[in-house]
Amino acid sequence: MTIVEGTIHKAYIMKLVGDEGVRIVENIPEDEITDEHLAELTGISLNTVRRTLYLLYEHRLAIYRRKRDPDSGWLTYLWQLCPENFDKALESEAKRLLRNLEERLTYEKNNIFYACTEGCARFIFDEASEANFICPFCQGSLEYMENAKVVETIEKQKKELIHSL
Amino acid sequence: MSADVDALEFIKSCESGVLQSDLWKALKIDSRKCSRIVAKLMKENLITRQLESIDGIRTYRLCYADKSNSKRFKSLMPVLIFEPCAGCIEECEPEHCAKLSEWIFSIVIGKEGTITAEDQPEDYGR
Repeated sequence: MTIVEGTIHKAYIMKLVGDEGVRIVENIPEDEITDEHLAELTGISLNTVRRTLYLLYEHRLAIYRRKRDPDSGWLTYLWQLCPENFDKALESEAKRLLRNLEERLTYEKNNIFYACTEGCARFIFDEASEANFICPFCQGSLEYMENAKVVETIEKQKKELIHSL
Repeated sequence: MSADVDALEFIKSCESGVLQSDLWKALKIDSRKCSRIVAKLMKENLITRQLESIDGIRTYRLCYADKSNSKRFKSLMPVLIFEPCAGCIEECEPEHCAKLSEWIFSIVIGKEGTITAEDQPEDYGR
């Protein structure tokens, strides 16, 4: 990637727009470019290019400028990446993740879990007891599952996220 | 290449950053132009600036921002998987989200090395 640098930034782009999206982003120059030109450069369909660009726009990672052709009256969209907004975007993702981890932590701390020995699913005590500790999917047995490491991991992740904000 | 890009590349190449007073000399530009470039790069969050005193003369140490920022948000990707909530448009139920469970478990497995993937129920989020 020419404009987007750093492992986390690249991974974020990959998460948002996938493999093809990454190829599209890699081909966006520092100057403006039209969606048609990007589609030509990458060989990716114009629809996918547009979807990717709008996704980036929604996350404020790209901007566009409209230009009207004086002869035909057609509008051309000129796109540009906003690498300067990446950290802000990551910050809001970190805040969102933090909120979700907080909810998940409460759930993990307030419940006792039973899991299917065949690996089908995990259930809270009430669900497991209602099912007579038999897995409703495979009829295998449900056994107590320790979640101390999960709790510990969520707490550690939370601390690190708070530290990053 | 423009002077901005030259400056950014130079700052990037200096592991421990560069003094602003050395930057304009290295780029063979005057200090006023250098100040304008630095202001622009800072506005774009590409570099960070810290006050430093050399032989009683106040100057600034300029560092490429990417390094610190990568470290800053490393908690979003403590293992090979980027955190699952980014860009997620599914109905949010953190208690039962399978993707969030998978991510949490991958950290547990990655850091502890004591839980095998087989230990993880497929729909752990339930």
